[in-house]
Amino acid sequence: MIYIILAIAIILVFWVVSTYNYFVSTKTRIGASIQEIGNQLKRQSELIPNLEASAEGYLKHEKGIFDELTSARKAISSAVESGDVKKMADAGKMLSDVLPKIQVVVESNPEIKASEVVSNLMDELRDTSDKVMYARRLLIDLTADYNVKMVTFPSNVVAGIFNFGKQKGLETPEEGPELKVSESETKTPKINL
Amino acid sequence: MKNIYEVRSANKIKSALIVAIFVAFVFAATYILVNALAYNSGYQAGGFGYVGIALIVSGISSFFSYYYSDKIILGIAGARPADRKRDFDFYTVAENIAIGEGLPKPKLYVIDDASPNAFATGRDPAHATICTTTGLLEKLNRTELEGVVAHEMTHVKNFDTRLMSVVAVMIGLVALLADWFTRSMFMGRRRDDREGNAGSIFLLLGIVFAILSPIVGTLIQLAISRRREYMADAGSIEITRQPQGLISALEKISQDPNPLRNANKATAHLYISSPYKKGKSGTSWLTNLFNTHPPIPDRIKALQAMA
Repeated sequence: MIYIILAIAIILVFWVVSTYNYFVSTKTRIGASIQEIGNQLKRQSELIPNLEASAEGYLKHEKGIFDELTSARKAISSAVESGDVKKMADAGKMLSDVLPKIQVVVESNPEIKASEVVSNLMDELRDTSDKVMYARRLLIDLTADYNVKMVTFPSNVVAGIFNFGKQKGLETPEEGPELKVSESETKTPKINL
Repeated sequence: MKNIYEVRSANKIKSALIVAIFVAFVFAATYILVNALAYNSGYQAGGFGYVGIALIVSGISSFFSYYYSDKIILGIAGARPADRKRDFDFYTVAENIAIGEGLPKPKLYVIDDASPNAFATGRDPAHATICTTTGLLEKLNRTELEGVVAHEMTHVKNFDTRLMSVVAVMIGLVALLADWFTRSMFMGRRRDDREGNAGSIFLLLGIVFAILSPIVGTLIQLAISRRREYMADAGSIEITRQPQGLISALEKISQDPNPLRNANKATAHLYISSPYKKGKSGTSWLTNLFNTHPPIPDRIKALQAMA
């Protein structure tokens, strides 16, 4: 009998230790993944001027696109400096919004489309935004895993004992004017024909 | 319709179940064969005993393929390291998937072979290698390639090379014991003074196990391999969130008529699809029983359920 109790106690201790380690190490990994997003955005903002310089000759009539690229790049640099995840995410989105515009220009102009420099530019831009997306995905996945363990039994007991807090990740606001639906909005719109 | 998280936990349970059956089988076979062997030779081995010796012999042969698996295969296959400029999509996709998984970027190699295929090897994520054929890189677009590379990365993340190596050692152990027992039967050194009920039962069971266990062991090994394929498929979707990419990649791979030139039995289970083309895949359950990979139509069906 005493052995059974002892065995259960040992298993329990092992489980508590491993759960505790899970929370601690995932917290560290979440921190690292935020840094990774920053790194990838920084890489992105350093890469763009290079690509601009090499492809400018082909796209000289599309000055608007370069202006947008430049402003996206500036937003990225300042977001990375601030270290704020939310700002980083917004700045990353600015760049991914420019990409389809370049695509349209390239597709509509066979001469540009045929140039190797421009197709390399497109490949690199696509890759760099993929990198940012995957870095964000890692943060999202880790945060989701962590937060699920926080609230589900039995790991929530360990989280409670050692006071682990919820991770924000790429936070979407839980409240805000854009998430509220007023009563008038739920009504069926009336249309007079 | 199942979401990816349900699929993941269902896969984990099924995989654990098969591994548990495998462990139970190895224990039972070892126990019976050792007892039968001891009874037959009239000699109870001391010290390490038969199991110890068999484990060492089986372990040594598998150790090298485990520890140097990447070097061995790459030596056979005549692979060249992937180049960022030349293999832009493969190189960058692998970088990206590694970022998404939070793992170090694996070493990347390309084999010159028209048959589209890919495999992963290496004992842990820090020593992982992903290898594709030129046929794969030519035929797949970037999204499809992402699906394939993510499948291989999931093998790496799940330590599948390690698992399959341990399984191979265990199979080797049982096969060796069965072999020794069969040999001792022919030598016929049975001593009559130890004749007893327990002894003859062990002898009878020993004969049955000596005949059946190598094949049963192999069948369970293949079942584990197939289950890990489903897990790698699901893991690929988990990271890319684009089931369509992997589905169309698998379709393209299965439609290709070329067999892989340098297929290697030891690593067949790590390829994205079986490197041996045995006529039409997905025929009867009996042929399926002897395959390292589930039939591609079944895999596509499982993926579509997640889409």
